[in-house]
Amino acid sequence: MSSEQSYTRNQIKKISLYAMLTAVCIIIGYVESLVELSFIAPGVKVGLSNSIACVLVFYGDIKGAFAVNISRILLTALLFGSPVSLCFALAGGIISLTVMALLKKCRFLSVIGVSALGGALHNVAQCAVGLVFVGRGVIFYLPVLLAFGVACGAAVGVLSKLILARIGKSEKNVR
Amino acid sequence: MKKGDIFVIAAVCILAAALAGVFFALKKDGKTVLVKVDNEVVCEYPLDTDREIVLEHNTAVIRNGEAYMREADCKNQICVKSGKISKRGECIVCLPNRVILEIK
Repeated sequence: MSSEQSYTRNQIKKISLYAMLTAVCIIIGYVESLVELSFIAPGVKVGLSNSIACVLVFYGDIKGAFAVNISRILLTALLFGSPVSLCFALAGGIISLTVMALLKKCRFLSVIGVSALGGALHNVAQCAVGLVFVGRGVIFYLPVLLAFGVACGAAVGVLSKLILARIGKSEKNVR
Repeated sequence: MKKGDIFVIAAVCILAAALAGVFFALKKDGKTVLVKVDNEVVCEYPLDTDREIVLEHNTAVIRNGEAYMREADCKNQICVKSGKISKRGECIVCLPNRVILEIK
């Protein structure tokens, strides 16, 4: 990057928007980490910050969704996490976003269904990482993680739907 | 909310319930508890004798055929809150200290 102006106005706008959304995600994530849900399975969270990625996907900005989500994961790992927690978060984040980006085109699913499946697969991916890092015993968490993932994903979907309606992207004109 | 949403949510819940059923049916009472630190087996004790296992950062307890983590010096205390284990394949993990209790 040189000192001369090399970005267009639009690009600068986008970069600032992504930066802001990333910051919002990290704050949501931090607030969530204060809520103790470890009786379900170690380290589970509702993942409300995923609604931002979900909104971006349905807004049609899949690249932006990946950018925000991956920066969120990297920064959260640097601030509060460890290399192992980074692997868990990256696997979950990338898989769920990919699934949501693909399912978005599915005509019989709304934001809620797409997000619910994203949530479920997020937890399946994390379970797979757990198999590598922790051991085979992790597989016993899979049923509860699936159910919890789908419930949280649906909740995130409802939230995303509300946000999309507020920013003038109701489902009809998204498609 | 579309019909498809309800369908996929129900499908995943049914899958989860089915998996839980399968896992529960496959679970058998374990015989020993394996203690691993840094993924290496440190010791193995039978579940039918009560004892206390003192490790560098954690204290585990075997009582009445069940094993649990009584103390850990980490700040999240997830392993302590994990409860008791007794079925084959169950485990308690303390990620900060890299300690694993596993039933065999």
